[in-house]
Amino acid sequence: MADEAPFQFLHNEVIQYIYKSADSGETENGRNISRLENMGFRVGQGLIERLTKDTARFKDELDVMKFICKDFWTCVFKKQIDNLRTNHQGIYVLQDNKFRLLGQLSAGKQYLEQAPKYLAFTCGLVRGALSNLGVKSIVTAEVSIMPACKFQVMIQKT
Amino acid sequence: MECQEEKPIIYTMENKPIVTCAGDQSLFTSLYTSLAQQLPREPMEWRRTYGRAPKMIHLEANFVQFKEELLPKEGNKALLTFPFLHIYWTDCCDTEVYKGSVKEDMMRWQNSLRAHGSADWVIIVVETNDNKKKNKTNILPRSSIVDKIRSDFCNKQNDRCVVLSDPLKDSSRSQESWNSLLLKLRTLLLMSFTKNLGRFEDDMRTLREKRTQPGWSFCEYFMVQEELAFVFEMLQQFEDALVQYDELDALFTQYVLNFGAGDTANWLGSFCAPVRNWSGLLLRRPIDMEKRDGIQRGEASLLDLRSYLFSRQCTLLIFLQRPWEVTQRALELLHNCVQELRLLEVSVLEGALDCWVFLSCLEVLHRIEGCCDQAQLAANCSHTVGLWAYATDKLKSLGELCGLVSEKGPTSEDLNRTVDLLAGLGDERPETVNSLQSPYKKLKEALSSVEAFERHYLELSHAAMEMYRAISRLRSARLVGKSLAEFYMRKGDPERAETFLQEALKSYVSEGWSLPVTHTRKQIAECQKLLSRTEDYLQTSALLAGDVNLTTEERKHFCQEILTFAGKSGDQSHKVTLSMGVFTQLTRLQFRPATASVHSGAVLQVELTLRCLMPVSVRIQQLAASIHFDLERGGTNGRSKGAQRQTNPGIVEFHQANPSAGPPSSSASPSLELDEIQDRSPSDNSLNSTGVVCKNTHLVMRRHDSNSPPDTPNCVSPPAVAMKEGAQMLQVQDVTLEPGNNSIVFTAPSGQPGTYTLRQLFATVGQVQFVLPHIYPSVQYEVYSQEPQLTVEPLSEPLLAGLPQMVKFTLLTGHYAVKKGDALQLSNTDTMPILPSTSCSARISNPAAELVAESALSIQSSEKVTSISLPPTPPYHTLEFQLEVLCVIPSGTERPANERLTNGEVRHRPRSYSHPDTPMTAIDQRMSIDCPWSIYSTLLALTFYIPFKTKHSLLSAGNRKYIQVCVQNVSDLNFTLAEVKLAEKQHVSLELQSLNTKTQQLLCSKHSVFCLWEVRWKDDLPSCLQCVFSADFSPVNQDVSAFKPFHYQFQLERVTTLYSVQAEIFPPAGEQHCRSGFLCGLEVSITRLTEPAEGEVAEDSKTDSDGLKTTKLMYEVADSSSNWAVCGKSSGMVSMPMAASATHKVQIEVMPLFAGHLPFPKIKVLKYLPHTAAVAIQPDPDSCVENDSLSLLDKTLDDQADTASIRSRGSVHSVGSGDQQQRGVAMPRLEPFSPGQVFNHSHTRQVLVLPSTDDHIMEVNAT
Amino acid sequence: MRLTARSRNTNMAVCIAVIAKENYPLYIRSVPTQNELKFHYTVHTSLDVVEEKISAVGKSLGDQRELYLGLLYPTEDYKLKPNILNWRTRYGYVTNSKVKFVIVVDSSNTSLRDNEIRSMFRKLHNSFTDVMCNPFHNPGDPIQSKAFDGIVSGMMVQTG
Repeated sequence: MADEAPFQFLHNEVIQYIYKSADSGETENGRNISRLENMGFRVGQGLIERLTKDTARFKDELDVMKFICKDFWTCVFKKQIDNLRTNHQGIYVLQDNKFRLLGQLSAGKQYLEQAPKYLAFTCGLVRGALSNLGVKSIVTAEVSIMPACKFQVMIQKT
Repeated sequence: MECQEEKPIIYTMENKPIVTCAGDQSLFTSLYTSLAQQLPREPMEWRRTYGRAPKMIHLEANFVQFKEELLPKEGNKALLTFPFLHIYWTDCCDTEVYKGSVKEDMMRWQNSLRAHGSADWVIIVVETNDNKKKNKTNILPRSSIVDKIRSDFCNKQNDRCVVLSDPLKDSSRSQESWNSLLLKLRTLLLMSFTKNLGRFEDDMRTLREKRTQPGWSFCEYFMVQEELAFVFEMLQQFEDALVQYDELDALFTQYVLNFGAGDTANWLGSFCAPVRNWSGLLLRRPIDMEKRDGIQRGEASLLDLRSYLFSRQCTLLIFLQRPWEVTQRALELLHNCVQELRLLEVSVLEGALDCWVFLSCLEVLHRIEGCCDQAQLAANCSHTVGLWAYATDKLKSLGELCGLVSEKGPTSEDLNRTVDLLAGLGDERPETVNSLQSPYKKLKEALSSVEAFERHYLELSHAAMEMYRAISRLRSARLVGKSLAEFYMRKGDPERAETFLQEALKSYVSEGWSLPVTHTRKQIAECQKLLSRTEDYLQTSALLAGDVNLTTEERKHFCQEILTFAGKSGDQSHKVTLSMGVFTQLTRLQFRPATASVHSGAVLQVELTLRCLMPVSVRIQQLAASIHFDLERGGTNGRSKGAQRQTNPGIVEFHQANPSAGPPSSSASPSLELDEIQDRSPSDNSLNSTGVVCKNTHLVMRRHDSNSPPDTPNCVSPPAVAMKEGAQMLQVQDVTLEPGNNSIVFTAPSGQPGTYTLRQLFATVGQVQFVLPHIYPSVQYEVYSQEPQLTVEPLSEPLLAGLPQMVKFTLLTGHYAVKKGDALQLSNTDTMPILPSTSCSARISNPAAELVAESALSIQSSEKVTSISLPPTPPYHTLEFQLEVLCVIPSGTERPANERLTNGEVRHRPRSYSHPDTPMTAIDQRMSIDCPWSIYSTLLALTFYIPFKTKHSLLSAGNRKYIQVCVQNVSDLNFTLAEVKLAEKQHVSLELQSLNTKTQQLLCSKHSVFCLWEVRWKDDLPSCLQCVFSADFSPVNQDVSAFKPFHYQFQLERVTTLYSVQAEIFPPAGEQHCRSGFLCGLEVSITRLTEPAEGEVAEDSKTDSDGLKTTKLMYEVADSSSNWAVCGKSSGMVSMPMAASATHKVQIEVMPLFAGHLPFPKIKVLKYLPHTAAVAIQPDPDSCVENDSLSLLDKTLDDQADTASIRSRGSVHSVGSGDQQQRGVAMPRLEPFSPGQVFNHSHTRQVLVLPSTDDHIMEVNAT
Repeated sequence: MRLTARSRNTNMAVCIAVIAKENYPLYIRSVPTQNELKFHYTVHTSLDVVEEKISAVGKSLGDQRELYLGLLYPTEDYKLKPNILNWRTRYGYVTNSKVKFVIVVDSSNTSLRDNEIRSMFRKLHNSFTDVMCNPFHNPGDPIQSKAFDGIVSGMMVQTG
């Protein structure tokens, strides 16, 4: 718990910073989300490089996703994804019933409208990790009752 | 050891373990066949020593007659020839016979065995019924014979004597005994194997341990271990056999390595001998005896040993169905040998190894083909292709060595070399002599002639390429292709070469391998030059000239190639167009002015930044950018269009992948556009969920083929640009591009208004034209034309009337150039004079809003016009100057009477009106200006606001009169008000005495000032007063000069007090005070104060019979606040004699409804005008008196009886009703008096009313 | 069955290459005395085998899934000294991020053991990971890191 606290605080500050700096200047909301997501992307890239250093080569896409849900998630959020679902056509849904970055926000619908900006970074994190593993994707997120939330990964077939 | 001992064995690969047979030969031969057949039938488990896995094996045996010399002598390592089991056959059943001969024979047999210490023997006693029958006499039970034998020979090992009963019958009994026999034999055999092999291996091991000792020889050891291998092979234990060879292999390798590492074993010497024979591997024989002998004799060369070893491994692997391991091992072998030769510093004739490797590769391939069908081969290309490629390689280098690749065939020493090489091959092997093709033949033939070589080489290369393609090792295939290309180049066939090179190049470019790209390009350039494909060649040269991987010299060379071609003064018709990207790159474009939008005729500069990739400076005759022009857009206002085109205005950055292939640009996929979503429930607008979504999924997900090569102009030359002459373009002549960044400034054509789009960029260097087919992102600029515009705007909002105000004139000259002497003619208006200002200067600024000039401008004013002469101003400039104007606050003398009393509203040009968003009254001032550029005069409007609202009212006290003027400051400024005056125009006698103490006073914003004057008069008061209120005002704290006058005119009529009304309330009789609910008397007395004035008479007097003028008045007691109940008539008519101090009294009963100090009921007096004489109808006073509407009307009148404005409305109303009268039937009517005509004393008087003792009554009365 | 224990030097690579996901070179370093171009060609070609091995994952069973791809293939490089063929062996390695490492070893070092190659790759991989996590490195760009360079130099054959 304690060791991830700094990350959480930093994460909050980053969001604060992004949104403040945006207020002066163009304050188009999508831009902020994208900026956060891009930060996440870069972090994900580096992180996955490090995490997969000693793991066996991945068999396939599903193998990769499992890694994300288990090791990757554990490394970042000190817990695993609670539920992974897929349609076997390149769409995966990662369900985290107690998403750390929302844990501090609220338990329920309070601040719900604020939630997305707290997911953007993680979306990027996942997309970055995947892309570095050679899986191009789009990652989106949805939250209805905090701190639970869903991440949807849409694999880009090439 | 003697060779003849082995030869027979090894040539027959039909090796079987040897079993000797002694005793009754005829008996054995009779049983031999069935025995030989039945022995292998059942498999047998062989338990191994050293924890090796047990194996099931089918035992066979080679039964030979027992001979003394078969038994191995001491120290004989030969294992194949080793008799593993000795059998003694007998069918003797006669004791005598046994005693007599057989026993002896057995004895001898046994002894000789013992002598050689071989304990693996068995005695088989065959018994048949018939030989029982034979001699009935001295018959013994068979058992006894067996027992005898047992007791005689096999002491305590009874199993060494076996009985086989009637073997030739097929009865169950015989079968049984057969089985037991066979089982016995097998067991014994295996026991023997285990024992003997074990012993052998032990010996072998001890021998190996000696290997560090000086005398030790690898070859000897080799033979020993191979013996073991042979045995395993004989027993079909190929795996084990292979192991033996692998061990030998490893052992040898290790020796060589150690040799390389410095410690040498003397026996290695033989292997260091120079290589004399390189005939390659020989895999067609199970065992290559020549080589084996060589090894045995210690004469084998390294290659011989390796070849032999490999041939054996190969054989075994093929037995084991592992052909692909053969190919793989083969490659490693070749690999190894080459290394080892190097380590051992064996001298080899140049090319010899190439031959050896080539032959070996093919040999292996043939061997494999020999044992696999096509399908298998096809499926396993990946295993064989390596060998094919290697062979190809080798052949090529041989070809080069022997001068078969050069255009002009081999030289004499080439031929000599060839001969030497062929010599090293020796004669062809007998196996292949007759087969029409073999590696040997191939090589010989290939080296025989240029043509043959080419044929074979191509065949091989194509085979290799095909295979590589088949297993989709495209890169390898292309590499082979490349070396093929090099071959073609050598052969002087650039055409063929190029196709291969191009293919290779494509892959290098697409995967971004710059060094190979450069190298391959150089080769291509060579081809293209040879093929004199000028355009392509120049294109490639350009690429190379800009290629950083090359040395400057090379780059200069290629650059020079282009320039020299360009320099050629050939026919103009044939120009070469090359893509510009390879020559110079457009990196940046900047507009001046940054708006990229100018008025027609103005100067627009375009600065291009070109990064020249050439190593030297290049002079360009013409650098031009073609322009597409279209009329629409542009138009009048070009302003600020350019600004919003890109973030930093006027600058366009161009990015492109550098042509010398770097990493392929992965920027192909568009970046994500994310956003938040909020999903609200339709019923109540509460949030269901929120999230992050991607807005351009469809774009991102669109499958853009990732492996499309980056746009590099490697081999494609751009479409020639057809430059239609006369088309507009940016161009400069004779520029010199230095290596690196150059900036070139163009002056853009800006004649016609419209939009100009830059399309293509091209540079002409003599015959060569470099073309950038389209400039992207697209670059535009605009040219607009504009009509002159004159605008006037207040310098400060709002403009206040009555004070001097600054207004700004702005003139956008547009396409009009203001000449000297041009002037603006303002037609003056008296309501808004233009104040002559001391210093009035005009500022002239250019479109970029920079001040270019400032000059005083002269203003002449006649009383008609003010002419402002403008300084000369170029087109599309802005001319600004300021004037001070004053809008006179309208003081309306000629106002219609009925409006006079109303507030300051004015009906007048310039018309004024009350503005919605300000309390101030607005005045629009129009001015018409004649401008030099147009025949029509321009109309401009300014809106001024009157800072004040003014009201007045007449106050009376008895006869005395007062005039009150209220000035309200509705502006936002604070003013000082001074010199407040009120003047009456007509009546000099009249005196207005100011009751205002202050001479100056502050009038703050939204405040009011009240001024009061008493009207004094001599003989009599004129009925009508024309008043002019005047004051000076100025914004707070400005000097006296700043004071401006302010006038307010108004008129008062019927000022004189005609009647005074007094009222008294009398308590009921005998009461001290009034009491609520009790009637009291109200006495109203109306007194005429003045003599009638002319006006009055004219108005409404009628002469009485007695000649006394009277006028009818109507009084009314109305209590609006219902404190009083009027009992009986509340109103009535009185006719007053029109004489001073005529009085009339009226008594009325009223009842106070409440206790307390009650205000008197209201008493009103109105004029009663009888109908005009025209219509003679006797008015019924009561009817009109009772007329409610009247009383109501009056009441309303009275309620509002204080403000001047309202009163005046009242009067308006009455007039209105008057009009009614004229229209309708003539009827008597009521008219109220003007304010001050009637003075009511009882106004605001109160009377004390005591509460009644009885509420009940009040209740009643209340209803 | 080694006979004498011999001091082995682990720096025996003649060329070390790092190749991006998309197969363009991120880093190629070869022994200066050698023909650099040649290495570019051969490393590029060796991608064939690398890809073959990578795609073999799943098809073949067992520990095919380790990052170390083992020996790719030996080839004979053209003569350095006249008359002596020189063999080079390529070893391959692929990170989970599909970045490939190729080490070319001079086969005169036959003493080189598999696990030594492995450890070289491990070192490379570690250093590469650091590069990836370096904020100044932009993923996909050629590797500029001096640190990485140092590691590589440590593995190269010392020439001279």
